[in-house]
Amino acid sequence: MTPRIPLGTRGRFGAETYEAIGYLVRKTVGESYTWFEYLLHNPTLGQRWLVEYHGHWVMTRAASGVPETSRGDATYQGVRYRHFLKAKAEVVAVVGEFPWTPRVGERAVVDDFVAPPRMLSREATKQETTWSTGEYVDGSAVWKAFGLAGSPPARIGVGAAQPSPYVAQNRAMFLLAVSFVAAAVLVHLLFAIFSQQRLVADITGEYRPNAPETAAVVSEPFDVRGRTSNVMVEISTNVANSWAYFHLSLVNESTGVAKTFGREVGFYSGRDSDGAWTEGANWDRAYLPSVVSGGYVLVVEPEGPYPVAWRVRLTRDVPRPLWVWLAIVAMLVPPVLFLWRRAAFEARRWSESDHAPVSTDDD
Amino acid sequence: MIKAYVVFGGLVLAALTWTHYTGWGPSDVTEEKVKSVRDNPGSYRSAYGGRSYTGAK
Repeated sequence: MTPRIPLGTRGRFGAETYEAIGYLVRKTVGESYTWFEYLLHNPTLGQRWLVEYHGHWVMTRAASGVPETSRGDATYQGVRYRHFLKAKAEVVAVVGEFPWTPRVGERAVVDDFVAPPRMLSREATKQETTWSTGEYVDGSAVWKAFGLAGSPPARIGVGAAQPSPYVAQNRAMFLLAVSFVAAAVLVHLLFAIFSQQRLVADITGEYRPNAPETAAVVSEPFDVRGRTSNVMVEISTNVANSWAYFHLSLVNESTGVAKTFGREVGFYSGRDSDGAWTEGANWDRAYLPSVVSGGYVLVVEPEGPYPVAWRVRLTRDVPRPLWVWLAIVAMLVPPVLFLWRRAAFEARRWSESDHAPVSTDDD
Repeated sequence: MIKAYVVFGGLVLAALTWTHYTGWGPSDVTEEKVKSVRDNPGSYRSAYGGRSYTGAK
Protein backbone atom coordinates (compact mmCIF):
# COMPACT_ATOMS: atom_id res chain seq x y z
CA MET A 1 0.00 0.00 0.00
CA THR A 2 1.77 3.09 -1.23
CA PRO A 3 1.11 6.26 0.74
CA ARG A 4 -0.61 8.93 -1.30
CA ILE A 5 1.58 11.44 0.53
CA PRO A 6 5.15 10.24 -0.02
CA LEU A 7 7.06 9.94 3.22
CA GLY A 8 9.63 12.67 3.57
CA THR A 9 7.37 15.21 1.91
CA ARG A 10 6.91 18.46 3.75
CA GLY A 11 3.58 20.18 3.93
CA ARG A 12 2.75 23.69 5.05
CA PHE A 13 -0.49 24.29 6.92
CA GLY A 14 -0.76 27.98 7.59
CA ALA A 15 2.42 28.97 9.41
CA GLU A 16 3.21 25.38 10.42
CA THR A 17 5.34 23.00 8.41
CA TYR A 18 5.27 19.26 8.93
CA GLU A 19 7.08 16.35 7.41
CA ALA A 20 5.31 13.08 6.69
CA ILE A 21 7.41 10.44 8.44
CA GLY A 22 5.08 7.51 9.02
CA TYR A 23 2.18 5.76 7.42
CA LEU A 24 -0.32 3.34 8.94
CA VAL A 25 -3.13 1.47 7.29
CA ARG A 26 -5.81 0.38 9.70
CA LYS A 27 -9.12 -1.37 9.36
CA THR A 28 -11.94 -2.37 11.57
CA VAL A 29 -11.89 -5.89 12.86
CA GLY A 30 -14.67 -7.96 11.38
CA GLU A 31 -15.67 -5.22 8.97
CA SER A 32 -14.17 -3.84 5.81
CA TYR A 33 -13.65 -0.20 6.76
CA THR A 34 -10.07 0.80 5.98
CA TRP A 35 -8.46 4.15 6.64
CA PHE A 36 -5.01 5.66 6.32
CA GLU A 37 -3.03 7.57 8.91
CA TYR A 38 0.00 9.76 8.20
CA LEU A 39 2.29 10.72 11.05
CA LEU A 40 3.50 14.28 10.58
CA HIS A 41 6.42 15.72 12.47
CA ASN A 42 7.65 19.19 13.28
CA PRO A 43 10.76 19.50 15.48
CA THR A 44 9.21 22.33 17.46
CA LEU A 45 5.51 21.62 17.37
CA GLY A 46 5.68 17.87 17.71
CA GLN A 47 3.47 15.36 16.02
CA ARG A 48 0.22 15.47 14.15
CA TRP A 49 -1.81 12.77 12.48
CA LEU A 50 -3.45 13.24 9.13
CA VAL A 51 -6.19 10.66 8.78
CA GLU A 52 -7.92 9.86 5.52
CA TYR A 53 -11.10 7.84 5.06
CA HIS A 54 -13.08 7.81 1.82
CA GLY A 55 -11.44 11.05 0.67
CA HIS A 56 -12.20 12.85 3.96
CA TRP A 57 -9.20 14.18 5.88
CA VAL A 58 -8.85 15.05 9.55
CA MET A 59 -5.74 16.60 11.11
CA THR A 60 -5.42 15.46 14.70
CA ARG A 61 -3.16 16.03 17.64
CA ALA A 62 -3.00 14.72 21.18
CA ALA A 63 -5.65 16.21 23.42
CA SER A 64 -4.44 18.27 26.34
CA GLY A 65 -6.34 16.77 29.20
CA VAL A 66 -8.98 14.10 29.42
CA PRO A 67 -12.38 15.01 28.00
CA GLU A 68 -15.45 14.42 30.14
CA THR A 69 -17.80 11.73 28.95
CA SER A 70 -21.46 11.65 29.78
CA ARG A 71 -24.22 9.48 28.41
CA GLY A 72 -22.02 8.40 25.55
CA ASP A 73 -21.02 11.89 24.43
CA ALA A 74 -17.86 13.80 25.30
CA THR A 75 -17.08 17.37 26.29
CA TYR A 76 -13.69 18.87 25.59
CA GLN A 77 -12.69 22.48 26.16
CA GLY A 78 -16.33 23.50 26.43
CA VAL A 79 -17.40 21.81 23.21
CA ARG A 80 -19.81 18.93 23.31
CA TYR A 81 -18.99 16.09 20.91
CA ARG A 82 -21.59 13.52 19.93
CA HIS A 83 -20.54 9.91 19.89
CA PHE A 84 -20.16 8.74 16.30
CA LEU A 85 -18.88 5.19 16.36
CA LYS A 86 -17.04 2.59 18.31
CA ALA A 87 -14.82 0.12 16.50
CA LYS A 88 -12.03 -2.31 17.10
CA ALA A 89 -9.19 -1.16 14.85
CA GLU A 90 -6.36 -3.27 13.60
CA VAL A 91 -3.09 -2.21 11.97
CA VAL A 92 -2.72 -3.86 8.56
CA ALA A 93 0.32 -2.01 7.15
CA VAL A 94 3.15 0.10 8.56
CA VAL A 95 5.68 2.26 6.73
CA GLY A 96 8.12 4.86 8.10
CA GLU A 97 9.20 6.10 11.51
CA PHE A 98 7.15 6.18 14.68
CA PRO A 99 7.80 7.11 18.29
CA TRP A 100 6.87 3.55 19.20
CA THR A 101 7.01 0.31 17.27
CA PRO A 102 3.66 -0.35 15.68
CA ARG A 103 3.07 -3.88 14.55
CA VAL A 104 0.71 -5.35 12.02
CA GLY A 105 -2.18 -6.90 13.89
CA GLU A 106 -1.93 -4.43 16.76
CA ARG A 107 -5.43 -3.67 17.98
CA ALA A 108 -7.15 -0.86 19.81
CA VAL A 109 -10.72 0.07 20.63
CA VAL A 110 -11.50 3.39 18.97
CA ASP A 111 -14.33 5.76 19.82
CA ASP A 112 -14.96 8.77 17.61
CA PHE A 113 -16.94 11.81 18.71
CA VAL A 114 -17.85 14.65 16.38
CA ALA A 115 -18.73 18.31 16.56
CA PRO A 116 -18.15 19.21 12.89
CA PRO A 117 -15.67 20.34 11.79
CA ARG A 118 -14.00 19.05 14.95
CA MET A 119 -13.46 15.51 16.01
CA LEU A 120 -12.42 13.78 19.20
CA SER A 121 -11.04 10.25 19.27
CA ARG A 122 -10.30 7.86 22.07
CA GLU A 123 -8.04 4.88 21.55
CA ALA A 124 -7.87 2.26 24.24
CA THR A 125 -5.47 -0.63 24.42
CA LYS A 126 -4.74 -2.91 27.31
CA GLN A 127 -1.89 -0.64 28.27
CA GLU A 128 -3.29 2.87 27.88
CA THR A 129 -6.07 5.16 26.74
CA THR A 130 -5.22 8.19 24.63
CA TRP A 131 -7.37 11.05 23.42
CA SER A 132 -6.77 13.10 20.29
CA THR A 133 -8.57 16.07 18.90
CA GLY A 134 -8.76 17.01 15.26
CA GLU A 135 -10.30 19.17 12.62
CA TYR A 136 -11.58 18.40 9.16
CA VAL A 137 -9.27 19.40 6.32
CA ASP A 138 -10.33 19.62 2.72
CA GLY A 139 -8.49 17.17 0.47
CA SER A 140 -7.47 19.91 -1.93
CA ALA A 141 -5.89 21.81 1.00
CA VAL A 142 -3.84 18.72 1.86
CA TRP A 143 -2.68 18.39 -1.75
CA LYS A 144 -1.82 22.06 -1.90
CA ALA A 145 -0.01 21.95 1.46
CA PHE A 146 2.25 19.08 0.32
CA GLY A 147 2.51 20.30 -3.26
CA LEU A 148 1.26 16.95 -4.56
CA ALA A 149 0.56 16.34 -8.21
CA GLY A 150 -2.89 15.38 -9.40
CA SER A 151 -5.94 15.66 -7.27
CA PRO A 152 -6.90 14.19 -3.91
CA PRO A 153 -9.05 11.07 -3.78
CA ALA A 154 -12.70 11.77 -4.45
CA ARG A 155 -14.87 12.10 -1.40
CA ILE A 156 -17.37 9.35 -0.82
CA GLY A 157 -20.41 10.19 1.24
CA VAL A 158 -20.24 12.71 4.05
CA GLY A 159 -17.29 12.63 6.41
CA ALA A 160 -17.83 12.25 10.14
CA ALA A 161 -16.34 15.69 10.82
CA GLN A 162 -17.14 17.26 7.46
CA PRO A 163 -18.65 20.70 8.05
CA SER A 164 -22.16 21.04 6.75
CA PRO A 165 -22.38 23.65 3.98
CA TYR A 166 -25.81 24.51 5.32
CA VAL A 167 -24.78 25.51 8.84
CA ALA A 168 -23.22 28.79 7.70
CA GLN A 169 -26.45 29.67 5.86
CA ASN A 170 -28.82 28.87 8.72
CA ARG A 171 -28.98 32.37 10.12
CA ALA A 172 -29.19 34.12 6.76
CA MET A 173 -31.92 31.78 5.58
CA PHE A 174 -33.93 32.26 8.77
CA LEU A 175 -33.57 36.04 8.69
CA LEU A 176 -34.52 36.19 5.01
CA ALA A 177 -37.59 34.02 5.57
CA VAL A 178 -38.76 36.19 8.45
CA SER A 179 -38.04 39.37 6.46
CA PHE A 180 -39.90 38.17 3.38
CA VAL A 181 -42.95 37.06 5.36
CA ALA A 182 -42.96 40.36 7.26
CA ALA A 183 -42.62 42.29 3.99
CA ALA A 184 -45.53 40.36 2.45
CA VAL A 185 -47.72 41.10 5.47
CA LEU A 186 -46.64 44.74 5.34
CA VAL A 187 -47.48 45.02 1.63
CA HIS A 188 -50.92 43.58 2.32
CA LEU A 189 -51.50 45.88 5.28
CA LEU A 190 -50.47 48.94 3.26
CA PHE A 191 -52.92 48.04 0.52
CA ALA A 192 -55.57 47.25 3.11
CA ILE A 193 -55.07 50.74 4.57
CA PHE A 194 -54.72 52.76 1.39
CA SER A 195 -56.95 50.93 -1.08
CA GLN A 196 -60.41 52.36 -1.75
CA GLN A 197 -62.59 49.52 -0.43
CA ARG A 198 -65.56 51.66 -1.43
CA LEU A 199 -69.05 50.20 -1.63
CA VAL A 200 -70.24 51.06 -5.13
CA ALA A 201 -73.45 49.04 -5.42
CA ASP A 202 -75.81 47.44 -2.96
CA ILE A 203 -78.92 45.88 -4.41
CA THR A 204 -81.48 43.53 -3.02
CA GLY A 205 -84.22 41.42 -4.48
CA GLU A 206 -86.53 38.56 -3.93
CA TYR A 207 -86.67 35.75 -6.38
CA ARG A 208 -89.70 33.57 -6.84
CA PRO A 209 -89.84 30.70 -9.27
CA ASN A 210 -92.51 31.14 -11.88
CA ALA A 211 -92.47 34.92 -11.36
CA PRO A 212 -90.66 36.29 -14.43
CA GLU A 213 -90.58 39.80 -13.01
CA THR A 214 -88.17 38.55 -10.31
CA ALA A 215 -85.86 36.72 -12.73
CA ALA A 216 -83.70 39.70 -13.63
CA VAL A 217 -82.82 42.87 -11.77
CA VAL A 218 -80.77 45.74 -13.16
CA SER A 219 -79.13 48.10 -10.70
CA GLU A 220 -79.13 51.86 -10.88
CA PRO A 221 -75.99 53.13 -12.66
CA PHE A 222 -73.00 53.54 -10.43
CA ASP A 223 -69.46 54.78 -10.84
CA VAL A 224 -66.35 52.68 -10.37
CA ARG A 225 -63.46 55.04 -9.83
CA GLY A 226 -59.72 55.02 -9.51
CA ARG A 227 -57.02 52.94 -11.14
CA THR A 228 -57.81 49.62 -12.74
CA SER A 229 -58.36 47.26 -9.84
CA ASN A 230 -60.70 44.56 -8.66
CA VAL A 231 -64.30 44.59 -7.49
CA MET A 232 -65.39 42.33 -4.68
CA VAL A 233 -68.81 40.77 -5.13
CA GLU A 234 -70.64 39.63 -2.01
CA ILE A 235 -73.86 37.69 -2.26
CA SER A 236 -75.98 36.97 0.77
CA THR A 237 -79.22 35.04 0.74
CA ASN A 238 -81.69 33.35 3.05
CA VAL A 239 -81.47 29.93 1.40
CA ALA A 240 -81.92 27.06 3.84
CA ASN A 241 -81.63 23.44 2.76
CA SER A 242 -81.66 24.74 -0.75
CA TRP A 243 -79.57 26.48 -3.34
CA ALA A 244 -79.71 29.54 -5.55
CA TYR A 245 -77.69 30.36 -8.61
CA PHE A 246 -76.88 33.89 -9.70
CA HIS A 247 -75.99 34.97 -13.21
CA LEU A 248 -74.25 38.31 -12.82
CA SER A 249 -73.19 40.82 -15.44
CA LEU A 250 -71.20 43.91 -14.66
CA VAL A 251 -71.79 46.11 -17.67
CA ASN A 252 -69.62 49.09 -18.52
CA GLU A 253 -72.06 51.67 -19.83
CA SER A 254 -69.36 53.53 -21.73
CA THR A 255 -67.87 50.62 -23.63
CA GLY A 256 -70.74 48.17 -23.56
CA VAL A 257 -68.41 45.45 -22.33
CA ALA A 258 -70.02 43.11 -19.84
CA LYS A 259 -68.15 40.93 -17.40
CA THR A 260 -70.44 37.95 -16.98
CA PHE A 261 -70.07 35.25 -14.38
CA GLY A 262 -72.08 32.89 -12.22
CA ARG A 263 -72.07 32.10 -8.52
CA GLU A 264 -73.94 29.50 -6.55
CA VAL A 265 -74.89 29.49 -2.90
CA GLY A 266 -76.25 26.48 -1.10
CA PHE A 267 -76.79 25.86 2.55
CA TYR A 268 -77.95 22.65 4.15
CA SER A 269 -78.31 21.64 7.78
CA GLY A 270 -79.82 18.86 9.80
CA ARG A 271 -79.30 16.45 12.61
CA ASP A 272 -78.32 12.83 12.58
CA SER A 273 -76.87 10.25 14.94
CA ASP A 274 -73.64 12.28 15.17
CA GLY A 275 -75.51 15.44 16.11
CA ALA A 276 -76.19 18.65 14.20
CA TRP A 277 -74.50 19.22 10.88
CA THR A 278 -74.28 21.96 8.29
CA GLU A 279 -72.92 22.09 4.80
CA GLY A 280 -72.21 25.04 2.54
CA ALA A 281 -73.16 28.64 3.24
CA ASN A 282 -75.96 30.99 2.34
CA TRP A 283 -73.48 33.60 1.20
CA ASP A 284 -70.67 33.84 -1.31
CA ARG A 285 -67.80 36.12 -2.19
CA ALA A 286 -65.91 36.56 -5.44
CA TYR A 287 -63.48 39.01 -6.96
CA LEU A 288 -63.75 40.50 -10.41
CA PRO A 289 -60.22 41.20 -11.59
CA SER A 290 -58.94 44.26 -13.38
CA VAL A 291 -62.07 46.37 -13.61
CA VAL A 292 -61.42 49.71 -15.32
CA SER A 293 -63.01 52.88 -14.00
CA GLY A 294 -66.26 54.03 -15.55
CA GLY A 295 -70.02 53.97 -15.24
CA TYR A 296 -71.55 50.56 -14.67
CA VAL A 297 -74.76 48.71 -14.05
CA LEU A 298 -75.06 45.28 -12.51
CA VAL A 299 -77.51 42.76 -13.87
CA VAL A 300 -78.55 40.02 -11.47
CA GLU A 301 -80.46 36.98 -12.68
CA PRO A 302 -81.16 34.56 -9.86
CA GLU A 303 -82.64 31.14 -10.18
CA GLY A 304 -83.44 28.31 -7.83
CA PRO A 305 -86.07 25.82 -6.75
CA TYR A 306 -87.57 27.97 -3.98
CA PRO A 307 -88.17 31.65 -3.28
CA VAL A 308 -85.07 33.40 -2.03
CA ALA A 309 -84.33 36.88 -0.74
CA TRP A 310 -80.92 38.06 -1.85
CA ARG A 311 -78.53 40.94 -1.59
CA VAL A 312 -75.53 41.71 -3.82
CA ARG A 313 -72.90 44.22 -2.80
CA LEU A 314 -70.00 45.42 -4.93
CA THR A 315 -66.93 46.90 -3.26
CA ARG A 316 -64.20 48.55 -5.29
CA ASP A 317 -60.46 47.90 -4.83
CA VAL A 318 -60.23 45.26 -2.10
CA PRO A 319 -56.82 43.63 -1.46
CA ARG A 320 -57.40 39.92 -1.63
CA PRO A 321 -56.03 38.02 1.43
CA LEU A 322 -55.57 34.87 -0.65
CA TRP A 323 -52.59 36.43 -2.43
CA VAL A 324 -50.69 37.20 0.74
CA TRP A 325 -51.22 33.66 1.99
CA LEU A 326 -50.03 32.24 -1.31
CA ALA A 327 -47.02 34.57 -1.25
CA ILE A 328 -46.12 33.46 2.26
CA VAL A 329 -46.41 29.81 1.30
CA ALA A 330 -44.22 30.42 -1.77
CA MET A 331 -41.66 32.29 0.32
CA LEU A 332 -41.44 29.44 2.80
CA VAL A 333 -40.77 26.82 0.14
CA PRO A 334 -37.01 27.59 -0.15
CA PRO A 335 -36.41 27.49 3.64
CA VAL A 336 -38.29 24.19 3.85
CA LEU A 337 -36.21 22.86 0.96
CA PHE A 338 -33.09 24.15 2.72
CA LEU A 339 -34.02 22.38 5.96
CA TRP A 340 -34.75 19.19 4.07
CA ARG A 341 -31.37 19.28 2.32
CA ARG A 342 -29.62 20.07 5.59
CA ALA A 343 -31.32 17.11 7.26
CA ALA A 344 -30.45 14.88 4.30
CA PHE A 345 -26.79 15.92 4.62
CA GLU A 346 -26.76 15.03 8.31
CA ALA A 347 -28.56 11.76 7.61
CA ARG A 348 -25.79 10.83 5.17
CA ARG A 349 -23.16 11.74 7.76
CA TRP A 350 -24.77 9.66 10.49
CA SER A 351 -25.53 6.74 8.18
CA GLU A 352 -21.85 5.82 8.65
CA SER A 353 -22.12 5.91 12.43
CA ASP A 354 -23.36 3.63 15.16
CA HIS A 355 -26.36 5.91 15.40
CA ALA A 356 -27.60 5.71 11.82
CA PRO A 357 -31.13 6.85 11.12
CA VAL A 358 -33.52 4.05 10.34
CA SER A 359 -33.86 5.24 6.76
CA THR A 360 -30.85 6.70 4.99
CA ASP A 361 -30.44 8.60 1.77
CA ASP A 362 -27.53 7.10 -0.13
CA ASP A 363 -27.46 9.22 -3.29
CA MET B 1 -28.89 29.19 -2.31
CA ILE B 2 -29.11 32.44 -0.35
CA LYS B 3 -28.74 34.58 -3.49
CA ALA B 4 -31.34 32.51 -5.31
CA TYR B 5 -33.69 32.91 -2.35
CA VAL B 6 -33.18 36.67 -2.32
CA VAL B 7 -34.12 36.83 -6.01
CA PHE B 8 -37.05 34.44 -5.60
CA GLY B 9 -38.41 36.22 -2.53
CA GLY B 10 -38.07 39.56 -4.28
CA LEU B 11 -40.01 38.29 -7.27
CA VAL B 12 -42.78 36.92 -5.05
CA LEU B 13 -43.00 40.25 -3.23
CA ALA B 14 -43.14 42.08 -6.55
CA ALA B 15 -45.87 39.75 -7.78
CA LEU B 16 -47.86 40.28 -4.57
CA THR B 17 -47.58 44.05 -4.94
CA TRP B 18 -48.58 43.88 -8.60
CA THR B 19 -51.64 41.68 -7.96
CA HIS B 20 -52.77 43.94 -5.13
CA TYR B 21 -52.24 47.07 -7.20
CA THR B 22 -53.90 45.89 -10.41
CA GLY B 23 -56.51 43.66 -8.83
CA TRP B 24 -55.40 40.87 -11.08
CA GLY B 25 -56.66 37.38 -10.42
CA PRO B 26 -57.86 34.28 -12.20
CA SER B 27 -61.60 34.09 -12.62
CA ASP B 28 -64.30 32.51 -14.68
CA VAL B 29 -65.46 35.87 -15.95
CA THR B 30 -66.61 36.03 -19.54
CA GLU B 31 -66.23 39.35 -21.26
CA GLU B 32 -68.54 40.20 -24.10
CA LYS B 33 -69.81 43.25 -25.86
CA VAL B 34 -73.53 43.56 -25.17
CA LYS B 35 -75.94 44.69 -27.84
CA SER B 36 -77.47 48.12 -27.85
CA VAL B 37 -81.15 48.60 -27.25
CA ARG B 38 -81.74 49.10 -30.98
CA ASP B 39 -80.35 45.64 -31.65
CA ASN B 40 -81.86 44.13 -28.56
CA PRO B 41 -85.30 45.53 -27.83
CA GLY B 42 -86.76 44.36 -24.56
CA SER B 43 -83.39 44.28 -22.86
CA TYR B 44 -83.22 44.20 -19.10
CA ARG B 45 -85.71 46.25 -17.23
CA SER B 46 -84.66 47.61 -13.91
CA ALA B 47 -86.43 46.54 -10.77
CA TYR B 48 -85.75 50.07 -9.55
CA GLY B 49 -88.17 52.41 -11.24
CA GLY B 50 -88.52 50.66 -14.53
CA ARG B 51 -85.24 51.89 -15.98
CA SER B 52 -84.14 49.80 -18.94
CA TYR B 53 -80.56 48.97 -19.61
CA THR B 54 -79.76 50.24 -23.09
CA GLY B 55 -76.28 48.92 -23.58
CA ALA B 56 -73.50 50.90 -25.15
CA LYS B 57 -74.06 54.52 -26.00
